[in-house]
Amino acid sequence: MTEYLTMFLLLAGAVFFLAGTVGLLRFPDVYTRLHALTKADNVGLGLVVAGLALQAESWAVVGKLLLIWLLVLLASASVAHLVAAAARQRGIKLWKR
Amino acid sequence: MGMALFLLLTLVAGLWRVLRGPTAADRMLAAQLFGTTAVACVLLLAQAFDQPPLRDVALVFALLAALTAVAFVRRAWAAREGGDADD
Amino acid sequence: MHSDDRRQRLEFLPRDSVMIHLRTGWFRAALFALLWWILTDGAADSWLVGVPVVLFATLASLALLPPFSWSLIGIARFVPFFFWRSLYGGADVARRALHPRLPISPDMYEHRWRLPPGLPRVFMANIVSLLPGTLSAELDEECLRIHVLYETSTFAEDLSVVEKQVAGVFGLALV
Repeated sequence: MTEYLTMFLLLAGAVFFLAGTVGLLRFPDVYTRLHALTKADNVGLGLVVAGLALQAESWAVVGKLLLIWLLVLLASASVAHLVAAAARQRGIKLWKR
Repeated sequence: MGMALFLLLTLVAGLWRVLRGPTAADRMLAAQLFGTTAVACVLLLAQAFDQPPLRDVALVFALLAALTAVAFVRRAWAAREGGDADD
Repeated sequence: MHSDDRRQRLEFLPRDSVMIHLRTGWFRAALFALLWWILTDGAADSWLVGVPVVLFATLASLALLPPFSWSLIGIARFVPFFFWRSLYGGADVARRALHPRLPISPDMYEHRWRLPPGLPRVFMANIVSLLPGTLSAELDEECLRIHVLYETSTFAEDLSVVEKQVAGVFGLALV
């Protein structure tokens, strides 16, 4: 049973990673690409982590997986802000429809 | 296993953005993508091959990705501004 | 110097209350111990190194980040809120990225701060980037400038909800 749930979560995670990459390639400027990358990939990693946590052999492993996810969450949110702020400082125009 | 390969493919697709740019920041974004995706990849491999130490590798990847990007924003991008204007 | 400055602005708890430092110290020591336990996969013999490390980490953290107020209820409310909204945020941006017509119309939006300066604002700026359609692009004394992926009329409302949640985490009342 948990194997199937893990399978499902991992596959769902893969879809988000795919969408993140597609967004990175398709979106028109650095700001919109940041949206795709930070949000989609973090959900993707969250789902992968959740799927793997179901198979974990101990609570310490669950904790470590969670820690890794939180770390990536914190890192990519702060980095997204720093890149966006730096881009604005350099006067990179935002794409408008 | 298959999953890890698939993620690797999305990574390679992300390389296109590194090549294209157009700005240095876009290239940095791709590097960030590598951070998250590589972490997921390594975690999957840890499970598939029953190699728990790989999880620590993922942890270090996560830390490094953050440091690289901050270092980029702080140093590299600011420094290049004066010199060449390729983006 | 740096910490004094922040203490005034964020209404840190009274500086000479030994009790609060003691309580925070115990709490943080427990957190660091948990972290150590996770990092070492619960290996029993690692505590020989772990105990001094936890002790040092606790002292360092008290020196670098003085105790600040937070609320357990606020956190309990925030976690599910953040969980679902960020999941929605990911799904939303994924849908737009995969959509053949790329339904986005980016713009900038300014949000005037109601949170006090310091930790709460930084926390909120990070959270905003993970929620649907918003990316914090600049923060200064008066406002948080946000890049929005598409225009809707609800961003102002959404942001004030986020701000209220963040205020709750830090046990603050918004002015």
